[in-house]
Amino acid sequence: MIFDSCDAFRAANFAAKVCILGSGPAGTTIARKLGAAGIPVVVLEAGSREFSDESQDFYRGTTVGDFYFDLDVTRLRFMGGSSNHWAGWCRVLDKQDFEPKAWAPDTGWPIRRADIEPFLPEVHDILELPGFRPDVPVSDDIRWVQLIKSPAVRFGEKFADELDKSRNVAVVLNTYATELAGDGKRVTGARLWSNGQDAGAFNADYFIVCTGGLENSRLLLWSNQRSNGGVVPNAAALGRYWMEHPTFEGGNAILADYGEFEVDAVNEAFFSPTPAAMERLQIMNFGIRLIETPYPGVKSLIADLACTAPDMAEWMSAKLSQNLRCAAQLYVAWEQAPLASNRIELSTTDVDHAGVPRIELHWKKSKLEHRTLLEGLRLFGKTLIEKNLGRVRIADWIANGGDYPTNDETAGHHHMGGTRMGTDVTKSVVDANCKVHGMDNLYVGGSSVFCTSGECNPTTTITALACRLGDHLAKVVAV
Amino acid sequence: MSFFIKRISRRTIVQALIALPALSLFRTLPNADPAHADPHRAGPTPANPNEIVEVNGWILKRSDLA
Ligand SMILES: Cc1cc2nc3c(=O)[nH]c(=O)nc-3n(C[C@H](O)[C@H](O)[C@H](O)COP(=O)(O)OP(=O)(O)OC[C@H]3O[C@@H](n4cnc5c(N)ncnc54)[C@H](O)[C@@H]3O)c2cc1C
Repeated sequence: MIFDSCDAFRAANFAAKVCILGSGPAGTTIARKLGAAGIPVVVLEAGSREFSDESQDFYRGTTVGDFYFDLDVTRLRFMGGSSNHWAGWCRVLDKQDFEPKAWAPDTGWPIRRADIEPFLPEVHDILELPGFRPDVPVSDDIRWVQLIKSPAVRFGEKFADELDKSRNVAVVLNTYATELAGDGKRVTGARLWSNGQDAGAFNADYFIVCTGGLENSRLLLWSNQRSNGGVVPNAAALGRYWMEHPTFEGGNAILADYGEFEVDAVNEAFFSPTPAAMERLQIMNFGIRLIETPYPGVKSLIADLACTAPDMAEWMSAKLSQNLRCAAQLYVAWEQAPLASNRIELSTTDVDHAGVPRIELHWKKSKLEHRTLLEGLRLFGKTLIEKNLGRVRIADWIANGGDYPTNDETAGHHHMGGTRMGTDVTKSVVDANCKVHGMDNLYVGGSSVFCTSGECNPTTTITALACRLGDHLAKVVAV
Repeated sequence: MSFFIKRISRRTIVQALIALPALSLFRTLPNADPAHADPHRAGPTPANPNEIVEVNGWILKRSDLA
């Protein structure tokens, strides 16, 4: 069932055992799992079926530190969440992303990749993916990795019919959960806002917060403030260890033969470091994306090379006349070192229309990350030389230690951390089952539970974790 | 001088000029201990043509500079 208002839902007298906040990939996946298990679940969705400026305005906020996107632009607040404009790049975090890195504090998850692997067949169905291909080592340092360009499933569109017909799932649109109340053991209810006004309290046995990788922290910080610590009793890490995938054009490559690597449907290929290379150089994970350079770009690259290595430039010119596809732009996205100082705070000066403080995001890239970017490009360049595949030019600002450009990609719109998973309550918010430490009936879905970000886009892992949480909850709730 | 120019092509002169700053770059690098030398930088012996060097942002084999 889909209700267009909170009033219509209340009139239907649907008795929900579980209340999910948010209908993005995480919330929708968990709701479908619970519905399929015969558990009555309500999904409260702040937005409606379509984009609206009014709804989007609730997402405004500010950023302190490095340049970042406007917070009302980097996500979407309506049914289906940010899946309404995601690009559809899919890959699961690497096995080593779950392992601690001795050289980077606060890395490592309390679960392993093997814990989510059983859910990958379901994820493939949900996201309409072909099977993943294993990584292919290119050298001791670099592996070819597959990122699948999926059809970018819009969760709101794809599952609207199924949810509407479901007898166990009620989706309630235009219903904003402004805060949760709790007594330090249990959530005792949610405060709702609908049609521009307070819509009273709502209760269920279990609450699952799936409001997105920025909003999960905001909602829990505000709820905790209002209930004097009754919602997240161990709140030292709440809002902290926030991460993105910084993404910048790192340089160029000339290639003996573009066809040397397997490219995807859009002629792109991806490369990451081997675990041994990361350990040797003490760097984070990264992904180098090869994007074919247009012809004028190739010519100026050759001219640049001629100043340094004329023979090489001559060889390159010869290649260019045989084959136009012989150069690439190198975009690098990397794993951020988790830092408690990268955090979501509640604004002390600005609130939304419902009176909830807006987000103040504190975000800075670290020195380790700059080194990861530089060493990553060097590793790739060395690999191309060793394998006689081509040459790499590192962008000046990286080689010379300059500032990050502000007119580049900047980041991936991937909002991770803030309610991270862990066993140490001073450094995490949820346990290995995504349950908030110390609370009996409060869980979190989405990438805010990520302990580390790896190098790949998050939604495949979000969906796998949501399937796992759905299965777990179905057992817990059935008891 | 004119004899010199006739015997050596313009291209070779350009190459030599280009190699000069690169060679001075190699000389200034800390590389007394090969075990701790940065593998991305040039080493003390300019003889190894397979050595990896960084010049003007390019990651090259030393022999590329010749
Ligand atoms: C431009 C862009 C491109 C992207 N490309 C990719 C990509 O190629 N690959 C990839 O893996 N990821 C990509 N992403 C990220 C991807 O969209 C997110 O990872 C994913 O949508 C997160 O899912 P979620 O369910 O956790 O949160 P969201 O999708 O943010 O959904 C949260 C939902 O909760 C609702 N909500 C918020 N607050 C409340 C509240 N208090 N009460 C009730 N409801 C609430 C919102 O309206 C929304 O519907 C991209 C994102 C953007 C913006």
